Amino acid sequence: MADSCNGCEFRPELYYDREFQIWVRLEEGGIVSIGMTDISQTIAGKILHVRVRRPGNRRPAGKPVATIESGKWAGPVPNPFDCVIVDANPEVLDNPRLLNLAPYEAWIARVRPSQALEQALQGLVSGEAAYAGYCGRCRREDIHCERKPG
Amino acid sequence: MNKVWRITDTGLRPPAQNFALNRALLEARQAGEIPSTLRFLRFTPSALLGYHQSAEQELNLDYCAAHGIAIQRRITGGGAIYMDETQLGWELYLTKRDLGSADMTVIARRICEAAARGISALGVEARYRPRNDIEVGGRKISGTGGAFDGEALMYQGTLLVEFDVEKMLRILRIPAEKLSDKAIASARERVVNLKELLGRVPEAAEVRGHIMEAFAGEFGVEFFAGDLTPPELRRYEAALTEIDSPGWVDLVKKPVSDMPILEAAQKFAGGLLRAAVSFDVEAKRVKQVWFTGDIFVNPRRTVNDLESTLKDIALERLESAVREFFAARQVDMLSLTPRDFVTVVNLAIARADRLSAPQGQDTAA
Repeated sequence: MADSCNGCEFRPELYYDREFQIWVRLEEGGIVSIGMTDISQTIAGKILHVRVRRPGNRRPAGKPVATIESGKWAGPVPNPFDCVIVDANPEVLDNPRLLNLAPYEAWIARVRPSQALEQALQGLVSGEAAYAGYCGRCRREDIHCERKPG
Repeated sequence: MNKVWRITDTGLRPPAQNFALNRALLEARQAGEIPSTLRFLRFTPSALLGYHQSAEQELNLDYCAAHGIAIQRRITGGGAIYMDETQLGWELYLTKRDLGSADMTVIARRICEAAARGISALGVEARYRPRNDIEVGGRKISGTGGAFDGEALMYQGTLLVEFDVEKMLRILRIPAEKLSDKAIASARERVVNLKELLGRVPEAAEVRGHIMEAFAGEFGVEFFAGDLTPPELRRYEAALTEIDSPGWVDLVKKPVSDMPILEAAQKFAGGLLRAAVSFDVEAKRVKQVWFTGDIFVNPRRTVNDLESTLKDIALERLESAVREFFAARQVDMLSLTPRDFVTVVNLAIARADRLSAPQGQDTAA
């Protein structure tokens, strides 16, 4: 069973930004997938639109790899390191609600870090430190996760 | 002592400048370069797309071009709107720390309820209507939306001081019958402005003052008047380069054929009912429905409310949405049934299959 805090699912095999807005998964060939955490999808609410920057675009650290819209809130899916967009998940583009329903399966973009992978991952957290930080945010901000269908 | 926030008024500007300032102030707030800020603004005549909308699908581009109406993309979500000098914009730039919550729904509610109190102080009874409107007597007087960037967020609203409903309808891509005198009169019943309610156009300073006081009370802060600072102006110049360009307006560009307006009419025991449906063929989503026809429905706003309920829903949710809508209220419509509304919408959508043929034509073209 997956770990969780306040009902927010945590995946121990992933890397996270320090605010736990996004997760990063290592794929083959030096590529990484980026997605939204359970915390982020809960805070955002029902997601209606997703837009991913075009493949080939270089994104400096901190600039969004994608933007989402829920209700009338729009905002970035931040990008933790300098990278080039390789691909967008067509299933998520077609059905943004997947981000609410299965946040850890629904990757948003695949990117290739511009620097060495170890360097790119340096700014991220993982393992027990990530779990402690993730739970800390859930408790501090009193976030309780929900997976709302429909 | 109370916290101190800044209040600023950037005056009348074209939309590209206003949205570049959105971006600049949101980034500057996120970077900790500026205090939390209440900004007032106005627009030269403009048709404003939601961040993820396509101009071709949402707007009557010919009308906008012929009438000198600028087209711009907001950084916030939601639907296309018309803005001009007769409306006042208000915006808050805050951090989640200011609000003590990360929940976007809670944040929107708190800001909108405070804004409604400010509008009410002018002598009207304004209320927040979830998700994003403020209304007076069931008629919309303010629409709102937000954008976030890390810990910082911007929430913005419009306030109809005076308003030309017909112009708003004409800039939009909607079925022709929605521009009939009767349809325009019906649209007028759904929105209201301060001039109509008060019998006068209130002084801008009076409106701004009440809204400022309402936010000061809600958040326990004092406001000081301040101009834009050099870091904001630097960020503004960079943002304007990106936003004041065709590339930004066309950031999302989808052909009209992906979202046709499909029409159908059917005679039921309760009368003739027509539906025009703006339909996202790819995603199989109903973007918007307009009902007209020779029917009796009481209360009269029921049809408008149903149209609002059916905005942007998956086709598979259509039937249950209509059923739940009518289950939740008392409506007198003689022998017309909820099922009839579903039937006529489905009839319209059935035309999409024919449209997907190579010679398919958008019925609205």
